[in-house]
Amino acid sequence: MAEIRIKNLHKEFGTGQDKVVALENVNLEITGHSFVSIVGPSGCGKSTLLNILTGIETPTNGTVDITSDGHVAAPGYVFQAARLLPWRTVTDNLLFVQEDRSDSTKQRCQRYLEMVQLGDKGDKFPGELSGGMQQRVGIARAFSIEPDVLFMDEPFSHLDAITARALRRELHHMWDETKKMVVFVTHDVGEAVELSNRILVFAKGGSLEDDIQIDLPFPRDPADDEVAVAKAHVLRKFEELDLLAS
Amino acid sequence: MTVTETRPSTADSSRPAPTPAQRVAAIPMQIAKSPHFARVLFPIALFAVWLLSLAAVEEIWPFAVDVLPTPSEVGAFMWDEFITDTLARKNLYETFYISLRRLMSGFAIAMVLGTALGLAMGLSRATNAFCHDWTMAILAMPALAWALFNSIIFGFDDRGPILTVILAGIPFVIVNVREGVRNTPRELFDMARSFQVPQSKVIRHVLVPSLMPFMFAAARYCFSIGWKGLVIAEVFGGQDGAGWTIKFWYDAHRAHGVVGYAAFFVIFAILFERLVFEPISRRAFRWRPQLQTEVVEEAFGEHHEHYGEEETARH
Ligand SMILES: Nc1ncnc2c1ncn2[C@@H]1O[C@H](COP(=O)(O)OP(=O)(O)OP(=O)(O)O)[C@@H](O)[C@H]1O
Ligand SMILES: [Mg+2]
Repeated sequence: MAEIRIKNLHKEFGTGQDKVVALENVNLEITGHSFVSIVGPSGCGKSTLLNILTGIETPTNGTVDITSDGHVAAPGYVFQAARLLPWRTVTDNLLFVQEDRSDSTKQRCQRYLEMVQLGDKGDKFPGELSGGMQQRVGIARAFSIEPDVLFMDEPFSHLDAITARALRRELHHMWDETKKMVVFVTHDVGEAVELSNRILVFAKGGSLEDDIQIDLPFPRDPADDEVAVAKAHVLRKFEELDLLAS
Repeated sequence: MTVTETRPSTADSSRPAPTPAQRVAAIPMQIAKSPHFARVLFPIALFAVWLLSLAAVEEIWPFAVDVLPTPSEVGAFMWDEFITDTLARKNLYETFYISLRRLMSGFAIAMVLGTALGLAMGLSRATNAFCHDWTMAILAMPALAWALFNSIIFGFDDRGPILTVILAGIPFVIVNVREGVRNTPRELFDMARSFQVPQSKVIRHVLVPSLMPFMFAAARYCFSIGWKGLVIAEVFGGQDGAGWTIKFWYDAHRAHGVVGYAAFFVIFAILFERLVFEPISRRAFRWRPQLQTEVVEEAFGEHHEHYGEEETARH
């Protein structure tokens, strides 16, 4: 089981007049089989938090620890923009992040490409795919290393409604079956309520303002009363904070 | 509220299909618009201008007719050279072999040295500050000056022409490689780091491919600028080679020899572009939707300006 511990996390960019506070005194623990969604207005530090958790950025102050059964956890990251190697084919993009190139690895990569409905696009270069297809390759890449923690930064925001729905279902299945941890950034409160058992609300200035547990059974139907109530609750929090910010 | 749906009208309903006669009539226009036609048109136009100017000069200044080469004279000269029937000391193939060997030596050295310097300048601000003005100075220096200078130092052996090729080509390599290093895709390195991809793999699959377009542009510039520098060096500081042979025909008052040899030069450069650079670039840049290998259009003044802006933007 993976565990994330964040203590007094503070992150600034730039100095002097250009100083931007991206995260302000964040304290957080995520343990076990969690599906955590992070919501909040644009620029509130959501991507920055994921970048720190995956080791791309370093904190200005404070500590983050990600462990899985006592050792350092392997993260998988679906970026806000696909971030594929344009000079490698789709398959080679997946193989790039693998530890080996054995037949079983290749089969696993192919399986995840099929999961995102791109099983026949392995030989294409990213430039030959649409933006949504590239995003799906990014999703398959993160899944294909079968990580201890899966970080996803608005993975479905560029996809059409039907594809997004199908992939949400796949994501839920994967989370349910593998008992892995997912940390999921989204703008879409409905999506957060449908998928997560915990929602973190961030405000402008990068502070963690609310931590909402959602203990409804899966699968959750947006038309269901309890789901609608939960969504309305989160939206109200969101609005309250937005009013506070302005 | 009502929703109305209008279907876009198809082409057939608004315009009748062309009759066969109209189609035939449209063929000349289609040919005129095709790029192949435009390509063929160019040498034809050139030829026409050549003949017209010959006629014009003859009209104005009748006794000049012996000086100006006619197409048939040039053609006959080129054919004689082609079958190695020449008055010069070395035949066409020996001459081009000598020049090509010099070009390749200089080209290779310029690429290796230039890449090393460009990498250093791209990675270190101090190195860049130290080398920048020197690079610009070398870039601003005419190849003619290098050729004369080198022939004074080295006399009439291979070293002068080779050094001229290096000095003419190396600034382009340095500048392109430096820009390549500055444009490395940060977000892809970050991606690799988050997936804990080992360093050697990152170099092979991210750094090197991202530098390739810049290296390729560097090679192209270095080759063509070096080729021109070499000719000048051979004119002033050689005893053989293509440049020297052009000079030989000039001294012999054979205008058709000068024009014919220059034409061999052009043909060689075009063949090299078509048979070497284009296939390599097609293979290396298969992943690009459209080919655009000229990454840094190097112009002395322009670059300086651009560089200044960039520096101020960073502070
Ligand atoms: N590399 C950086 N350099 C300077 N400032 C940065 C950098 N990365 C992020 N920031 C700043 O930090 C703040 C938080 O950015 P972040 O990308 O985390 O926002 P976000 O919550 O992901 O927004 P969005 O929902 O629009 O993606 C913003 O003000 C942004 O301008
Ligand atoms: Mg973001």
